[in-house]
Amino acid sequence: MNWGVRAVSIVAAVGFCFLIQTVSLGFGADIQRLIALAGLYVTLAVSLNLINGITGQFSIGHAAFYMIGAYTTGYLSIQFLKNSGMPGPVWLLLMMLAGAIMASLAGLVVGLPSLRLKGDYLAIVTLGFGEIVRIIVVNSPFDVSFFGVFKFFTFPNLGGAYALDKIPAIRELWLIWLLAVVCIAVCRNLLKTAHGLAFLSVREDEVASLAMGVNVTRIKVTAFMIGSAFAGAAGALLAHYETSILPSTFAMDVSFIILTMVVLGGTGSITGSALAAITLFALPEVLRRNKEPVTGGTFLAIVIGVIAAVVLIRWFQNEYHGSKNKKTAGYFASVAASAIVAFGLTFALNAIPALHDKAFEGSKLRMVIFAGSLIIVMLIRPEGVFAHHEFSWTWLKKVLRIKPKSEALAT
Amino acid sequence: MKPRRMTAWTSLIALAMGIALLPACGPKTDEGGTTGGDTKTTGSTTSGASSGTSGTTSSRKAPTASGNTASGDTIKIGLVASLNGELKPWGDDCEKGARLAVEEFNAAGGVNGKKIELRIEDSASKAEQGRSATDKLIAEGCLGIIGEVASGITLQMANSCFDKGVPIVAVGATRVDITDIGSNVFRVCYTDDFQGPVMAKFAYDDLGLRKVAIMTDQAQPYSTGLSDNFRKKFVELGGEIVDEQFYRSPEDKQFGPQLQQIKEKAPVGLFLSGYFTEVGAIARQAKEAGLNVKMLGGDGWDSAELNTSGGAAIVGGFFCNHYNNEEARPEVQQFLSKWQAKYNSKPATTMGALGYDATMLVCDALKRASALDSKALTDAIEATENFPGVSGMITLKGNNGNPPKRALVVEVTSTGQKFAKAFEPGSL
Amino acid sequence: MVHQLLPIAAVDFNTLPQQLVLGIGIGAVYALVALGYTMVYGVLKLINFAHAEVFMLGAYTALFTAWYLGFSPQSLQALERESSWLNLLIMLLASMVICAIIGVIIERFAYRPMRSQPRIAILITAIGVSLLLQYGGALFLPVSPPPSIDERVNPYRGAYTITLSRPSDRLLGQKEELERQYQESNVAFEKQLEKEKSRFDLSPQGIALRNAKQEAERALRKVTDEIAASGRELKLPRGQMIMLGATLILMLILRHLVLYTRTGRAMRAASHDFDTASLMGISVDKIVTVTFIIGSALAGAGAMMQATFIGTPLTTFYGVSLGVKAFVAAVLGGIGNIPGAVLGAMVLAIAETLVVWADGSKWKDAIAFVILIAVLLFKPGGLLGSSKVEKV
Repeated sequence: MNWGVRAVSIVAAVGFCFLIQTVSLGFGADIQRLIALAGLYVTLAVSLNLINGITGQFSIGHAAFYMIGAYTTGYLSIQFLKNSGMPGPVWLLLMMLAGAIMASLAGLVVGLPSLRLKGDYLAIVTLGFGEIVRIIVVNSPFDVSFFGVFKFFTFPNLGGAYALDKIPAIRELWLIWLLAVVCIAVCRNLLKTAHGLAFLSVREDEVASLAMGVNVTRIKVTAFMIGSAFAGAAGALLAHYETSILPSTFAMDVSFIILTMVVLGGTGSITGSALAAITLFALPEVLRRNKEPVTGGTFLAIVIGVIAAVVLIRWFQNEYHGSKNKKTAGYFASVAASAIVAFGLTFALNAIPALHDKAFEGSKLRMVIFAGSLIIVMLIRPEGVFAHHEFSWTWLKKVLRIKPKSEALAT
Repeated sequence: MKPRRMTAWTSLIALAMGIALLPACGPKTDEGGTTGGDTKTTGSTTSGASSGTSGTTSSRKAPTASGNTASGDTIKIGLVASLNGELKPWGDDCEKGARLAVEEFNAAGGVNGKKIELRIEDSASKAEQGRSATDKLIAEGCLGIIGEVASGITLQMANSCFDKGVPIVAVGATRVDITDIGSNVFRVCYTDDFQGPVMAKFAYDDLGLRKVAIMTDQAQPYSTGLSDNFRKKFVELGGEIVDEQFYRSPEDKQFGPQLQQIKEKAPVGLFLSGYFTEVGAIARQAKEAGLNVKMLGGDGWDSAELNTSGGAAIVGGFFCNHYNNEEARPEVQQFLSKWQAKYNSKPATTMGALGYDATMLVCDALKRASALDSKALTDAIEATENFPGVSGMITLKGNNGNPPKRALVVEVTSTGQKFAKAFEPGSL
Repeated sequence: MVHQLLPIAAVDFNTLPQQLVLGIGIGAVYALVALGYTMVYGVLKLINFAHAEVFMLGAYTALFTAWYLGFSPQSLQALERESSWLNLLIMLLASMVICAIIGVIIERFAYRPMRSQPRIAILITAIGVSLLLQYGGALFLPVSPPPSIDERVNPYRGAYTITLSRPSDRLLGQKEELERQYQESNVAFEKQLEKEKSRFDLSPQGIALRNAKQEAERALRKVTDEIAASGRELKLPRGQMIMLGATLILMLILRHLVLYTRTGRAMRAASHDFDTASLMGISVDKIVTVTFIIGSALAGAGAMMQATFIGTPLTTFYGVSLGVKAFVAAVLGGIGNIPGAVLGAMVLAIAETLVVWADGSKWKDAIAFVILIAVLLFKPGGLLGSSKVEKV
């Protein structure tokens, strides 16, 4: 790639961020905030993908790094922003750097045990680390001393379980998306280099890559540090966007959601992680806007329809040995058939008074739908929506030439 | 193999240093309220509800944004409640109370013939989602926001409301510093710096307790704040806090070890500042541990389920509440009969009444407002005087959003609750 | 409390035995749930996140059974008869059976179709099932207000007391005298109370009498506390002891099942090498089903006992925190290893208790995780697990 293309892509990336900023100004404040949070989740998912999908280190404590970034920079801003006299965006960039450094130091601390631990043992260490960080914040302020004898210093007050409040607001939407774009670019470019191959080799087989002269230790720790640095920078942006942050925002289930984004998008696929992050973040928010009451009968009919569709699709996937086009037709047919069945059942089941009278408001079902869609996607496409594929221009060209050979997808 | 050992050892040394450095824990009696992070506010609040020195001009920041203006033939107000997640019991009651209030207000004619439209959003007991919900309601054109039942979520919502210049009336957020955010933040409940001292005074004077232990729910800002306020007053009165132990809801289910520690200090009273979800189990286990103490607590105890979860152990305990179903006041009895008619049950928690009060107060303020927009609504809410709520008289004028309210001390009996003593604001 | 120079000095060794007893009691529940994690992991190499929700549903089953047995909130007011051990047994069996069924359903419809897929995909399915049960359960189960099992279901309340040393006789004599004084002042106050409006709204004379009564009460209390402090006793909460006993029995049964039956041997074979086991003619599907039945039934037993003897109100998030703890315990002991799960659970629970004992209840969970990390640094495969040497 020559420098011209690089310059164009950089300009395009920055332009894209400003475009998002401009477009989002047209919406209400609520949508603006959702766009901002979606950008942060993209960063989180893509950075976890580096640790989890690309390097194969099973981390389920990513929210801890996010939290470290947010709390460090929030505290610094409360203490020093007024006296610094710096313009907001400059300060915010500085804070992103501070958050990234703190979080990557934490990443180093977590990365070190990963030298000895594998798989689920590493997972539990990352989970434990996340909990320890959260408890430290909840217990703040406290004195740090040597068995109570020599008092070294007092750990600063981070607001305990309540919140770290009154953080100066610096809301730069374009910066949030720029971070996401940078994160994607860093991960993508890493994969294009020889270093990137080393990361992938660690995922595929540690011993073999060791034998080939890859410094496995360094690769693992680097992955943890880069991944957590991006999470820390995202935390800095969150703290200044929200102006008050609290420990429960960074609880264990947030880590699980981020992990889910990575897997659902396709482990190792940057495109997949980014798109899954946006989708999964948007899903509950879109469903929140549905106020229609759903009767028990309709609900049951939809559940039955979805189960039927999943069973049929799985049958076509595993048992049916026709041509590819016929398989695709089979998928469509099974979805259509299930939809018709569900539609018919709606009337039948709603005729039963017990089912008709119990109604759920659509928005209250959103977490159920969220959970259900996780299971469904995993059942019919376990390798994730994008599997190992990435979006690329070559891929797009191939698609546009309408020669759908899935083998030719860029990997 | 050798370098690997080294890693383990170095990491262990680092860990050991970490352990050696960390535990400077245990209660700090010398500094009073250092836990829970309210140090930064205890000094700065101008006049808490308890002091009763109202009438000072509001020192709170006014929001700069102008908020929403009503359009169309309905007036929209928004309610954010925890309809999912851990706080669902309170959220559900709050929603029911609010619906009841709007229905009643609309049936009585609304605001000059204009009906009120209540938009309800779920926060799923999560602060982040509470904020999204608030943002959405404001974007939909709600003039004012009602909610939430917990302090942590309310804070996030209040921040959002302050940015957009929309008034917010908190339902059950008793944490002191929430109303400091701006002059558009109000609540209908008393604050922890009133109910904590009320319980301290009641324990010291009326029950004659001198040595009391505290159990604090470290994960709930409500609980840490309440414990601090209780301790401060109790020590000021001359009592002794012999021990403070911590647990984390909803993680902890077994409290035996903490209770054993408390038992060794031989207190005569035990102040449980957490929510009823843990209080009942703590009382049961305290009895099993042979801890013979009077149980005391705050409004987080209030629930129809307290007796089942606490069993015989909780009977004889006292807690502070906003109102009491057995009260003879017409507001209470009318409210209960209306609730009975609509939902065929009794409100399970006190949030039913508070949600009703908050909604009614906003409706009433809309009636009095000079114009149908957020700014006028804020002013009208601020001007509220002697609003007859189910939970008592509410006066917000000149009180920085914290109404000085009556607190009832209620005794837990084997069949429910019995009114014991009322504390008027300013009586401490 | 005055802070001692060394917090270590604040530690009271007299309470150590009592704290250890409590720790073991807590460990029993952790162990029951951890077994489910570890067994499923042993066979399928899957962290079954939905196990915590099976636990939650077990607690609800116990609740509904208790209601069915006549301990529902509506009928309790009129309740006079005492419960019996039979009720507890019925609740236990109901929970175990229902949990086993739920476990099998989850395995059959969510995990089995994924068997040949990458482990992480099954893990996400498990998270999905877990969320589905948490939020979907809240649509149908009673959560608001969160119900709890009435303590009267359990006829074994209170605690067994083992006296380690007797209080001194001198104090006992003193106590009698003070008790008499207290009674006198109490009678005087009660007499005055008849003239008063209410117990908490007194005239000055009433206040004086009340204060005298409280003074006498405090003096009495002081002596009773001294008596309590001069003698030492060990309190064994009866509920906890039953939990411990039941756990031990269940574990002996499990041990017999795993070590001395055909199914157990097949299970161990599948755990050792899933593919080879299936090649050797073991019906692995059946073995997985049996594993889920046993694991879920144990979780059900733990849920029933915790819900009955502890009394925390139930929500659909009831299992989450315990699930994490039990999972940590299973990893600590070496995941996939059955005795390891029990050992890990005990170590974790006792460590937590000791932190509280050393006056660090604020740091209880943090230190539990620190211990976990420290153990894993030295034994990367957990306490009893073996860190596998990878063959190339």
